[in-house]
Amino acid sequence: MSLELLIDILIATVPLMLIFATLFAFTTWLERKALARIQNRIGPNKVGIPCTRIGLFGLGQPAADGIKMIFKENIVPRGADRLFHLLAPILALIPSMLVLCFLPLDFPWLNENSVKAFLLDGAVIFFFAITGLNTLAVFMAGWASRNKYSLLGGMRAVAQMVSYEIPLVLSAVIVVMMVGSLNAGEIAGAQKGGNWFVFSPWGFAAFVIFFIAALAETNRSPFDLPEAESEIIAGYFTEYSGFKFALFFLAEYIAMFAISGLAVTLFLGGGDGPGLAVLPWLSVIWFLAKIFALIAVMIWLRGTLPRLRVDQLMGFAWKFMLPLSILNIFVAGFAWHAEQLDNKFIMVITWLISLAVLYGAASGLNQLNRGKVRPREYKYAE
Amino acid sequence: MRILGGGIFKGMAVTLRNFVGSYINKKERLPTNDYSWRADGALPQSIGDYPKEKGEQLSDTTTVTEYSRNFPMLLHDGGEPMDTVRCVACQICERECPPQCIYIEKDYDENGKYIKRPAVFDIDVSVCMSCQICVEVCPFDAIVMNSQFELSTPDRFGGLLVRRDDLLKSNDYYHKIHPEEAAARDQKMAVEKAAKEAKKKAAAEKAKAAAEKKAAEAAKEEAK
Amino acid sequence: MSTAAAPNYELIQQDGLETNLLEVSMGPHHPSTHGVFRMDVKLDGETVVDLRPVFGYLHRNHEKLAENMSYLSSMPFTDRLDYFNSMTNNWAYALAAEKLIEVEVPERAEYLRVIMAELTRLVNHVSLVGFFINDLGALGTPLLYAFREREKILDLFEQASGARMMCNYFRFGGLRNDVPEGWLERAAKVVDHFPSFLDEYEQLLCENEIILSRTQGVGNLPRELAISAGVTGPMLRASGVAYDLRKVDQYGIYDRFKFRVPYTDGDTGDCYDRFMIRMLEMRESIEILKQALAGIPEGEIMGNAPRVFKPKPAESYGRIEGPKGELGFYLIADGTPKPYRYRVRPPSLINLTVLRDMCLGGKIADAVIILGSIDIVLGEVDR
Repeated sequence: MSLELLIDILIATVPLMLIFATLFAFTTWLERKALARIQNRIGPNKVGIPCTRIGLFGLGQPAADGIKMIFKENIVPRGADRLFHLLAPILALIPSMLVLCFLPLDFPWLNENSVKAFLLDGAVIFFFAITGLNTLAVFMAGWASRNKYSLLGGMRAVAQMVSYEIPLVLSAVIVVMMVGSLNAGEIAGAQKGGNWFVFSPWGFAAFVIFFIAALAETNRSPFDLPEAESEIIAGYFTEYSGFKFALFFLAEYIAMFAISGLAVTLFLGGGDGPGLAVLPWLSVIWFLAKIFALIAVMIWLRGTLPRLRVDQLMGFAWKFMLPLSILNIFVAGFAWHAEQLDNKFIMVITWLISLAVLYGAASGLNQLNRGKVRPREYKYAE
Repeated sequence: MRILGGGIFKGMAVTLRNFVGSYINKKERLPTNDYSWRADGALPQSIGDYPKEKGEQLSDTTTVTEYSRNFPMLLHDGGEPMDTVRCVACQICERECPPQCIYIEKDYDENGKYIKRPAVFDIDVSVCMSCQICVEVCPFDAIVMNSQFELSTPDRFGGLLVRRDDLLKSNDYYHKIHPEEAAARDQKMAVEKAAKEAKKKAAAEKAKAAAEKKAAEAAKEEAK
Repeated sequence: MSTAAAPNYELIQQDGLETNLLEVSMGPHHPSTHGVFRMDVKLDGETVVDLRPVFGYLHRNHEKLAENMSYLSSMPFTDRLDYFNSMTNNWAYALAAEKLIEVEVPERAEYLRVIMAELTRLVNHVSLVGFFINDLGALGTPLLYAFREREKILDLFEQASGARMMCNYFRFGGLRNDVPEGWLERAAKVVDHFPSFLDEYEQLLCENEIILSRTQGVGNLPRELAISAGVTGPMLRASGVAYDLRKVDQYGIYDRFKFRVPYTDGDTGDCYDRFMIRMLEMRESIEILKQALAGIPEGEIMGNAPRVFKPKPAESYGRIEGPKGELGFYLIADGTPKPYRYRVRPPSLINLTVLRDMCLGGKIADAVIILGSIDIVLGEVDR
């Protein structure tokens, strides 16, 4: 390996990791603050600049948390599989870090000759292949902890992640179909000028399915069953403390960034946004802003919704999301053919038809799955 | 027709409203230290960042509410505390205290004669549950509730056992922390005292009359 | 009585694959057992096959303690039974003792008792719903909204009695002290504000599809089982029995107020019904509060009952419709200042007895929310 290539790789990857590690710290603060405000609390507001009374809205909180985490005792339960107990958080972190490379972030310091992983043909496939490893890490943690709650959490996680991978991939397939490429850079490039995929019925449906499946993939509320606090304490990381726990935490947030980044790439136009012609590096800002918009929605959902039950979660994946995403593929194929005709009127008709089909299918599936679940009337005795 | 996921969107609208509201309408939405419900600003408005900086009202002499109760104290009527202490060491409160946190010993002078005051009066505030039963059963209005709350101490046993001399507080202090209650208690005591005095007076007059009568009779007899 | 069909384990074992049941000890240090309560759960995958409630971790000898102190002295201990509802606990005990010594309660005190009890009901139900949704997995948002409103009511309690939770406010023959000046207006303000909060709460919770699908058809309690198990309170009404001691006994002055008792037709009796009955009951409590605050007269608050007394040998049972169910105190007096026997009928404990019947066959997540919907406070269960 030549020195230049090494430097090139370092230039391409180190800033990426630094930026996302910083964003992770900021996101933990943002999440705590936003959740607090949703719940009418104030949230972290004390930790700011050390040795002063300057609070800085509690922005020092992540740093304080990090220092605390590092210095906490590392407790491994007796009877736990020490090797896998140690490996699990590392294995959780590596794939989520790795897939960040596939996000089409055009940093200004990268020139045409730089190493850009996202220009890899088949970046999308790589993305799904590597994030699939996460499941293994989670189950490893659950198994190695030798704790029944951990085991339950690990088993839930495997079932959930495997199930939701399918609608996730099937909704990404639609974009791949429309663009005709698996290259993340090309997919983002195809949506230039506000021509985002989310602005079409099939694209929107795919985006919603993708987003819901992404929530489940990253174990976010309302699909946070593997770490369901009220049922199985903390799920697969019940027995983790100190820095190992911090690694899990980091992995979870980085996975959130990665999957939001993929959603932005596939459906929200990547780095597309106003002002790019004047300042090309704005695309990075736009990209990160869109990621944060998605994360804000995730936080908002977390502040609002209770959790699904295991069987309902699986039912939702297989009985609702899967049929809908398969139907959506047909709708998208139909629309692609209509698009080839290049006729405004036909396009409008296609839009209406696909809207009707998708909404009808969604509510039909909803009716089928919901059974007798309905708000009820009550009687009063005088 | 119900919208797909309508209930969820409704819920999200509520949380959004609360999120925004917590910035706009802080008084309504956020937990505050602003005791606005308290009558006509009798109490100061700011509480401060408590352990580091004390707010204006957070001193031992201000009460939190009119009936707030923390731990009991013994009342004296001013001057040298042990001379005017109201407690006569009757031990009713010791007997009635639900968690049995009061310990009293009577005081005797050098001749072994009982003087009506406690020699030892300890309250273990780590046991006391601030129930105010002692205040209610006391026939002498000698024990009332204090609102002092800064009782933290590094000494787990000795520091939480409050001794007689620390429990003694003047009636003026009581008036400061619970003005209405203290005034009512003083009035009640005055009425009782007046009644007692009237009774005493009546008894004395009766005795006097009886004595006079007796004397008259004796004189009569003598005259015979 | 078994309410759920357990899967056939012999069949599972026949196909050559050996399966084991997973025995999980949930609690006493579990986030959602509402205190130090333990459930020994046997799981087949996620399905509950067997459940054994274990409690007594918080036993503190309440009844025996009370038999060794005077009647008045155990009043503050009743606060600690169900520490959410100290006011109603006080009332039930005062009612039992008042029957022994036969004192009249002044009019104003009766009104204040009703006001305090209904405010307590609001506090209990609103936080119960919060806890229940917390058990469902919401991140505390409804609970914190509930606590925001609860604080306002606790402020009222603090102002009247000097303490927020351990109120110790009721006395035999009345109340300890009158409410301070301006208290009634402040209470009216809180009560007037409450419905708008309930609207918001209902909007947040009652139509949420996830809550509907999580709670409906979960933890069914048939009417017959509810009656034979002695279940009372909102749980019984959710199972289709319109039984409310405020209507049946009309203790205090409840006969003067116009209010309704929500109940179901008994077809379902699941967690959703228990949750909704409590939501509806809060509206009725507000109606009672409005009437009571409007009608409260001036006057004495303490009848002429002695502080320490020796009742004639007799027995008495005082019961009220507590927020959790029928709360009763049974006293036997033997002519001394201390009761000969002192017994609490805790609604939490008796409602808890049907836990196993409701949980079998459900998922482990259902067991958690069923426990949440029973509304227990371990201080009262263990006493």
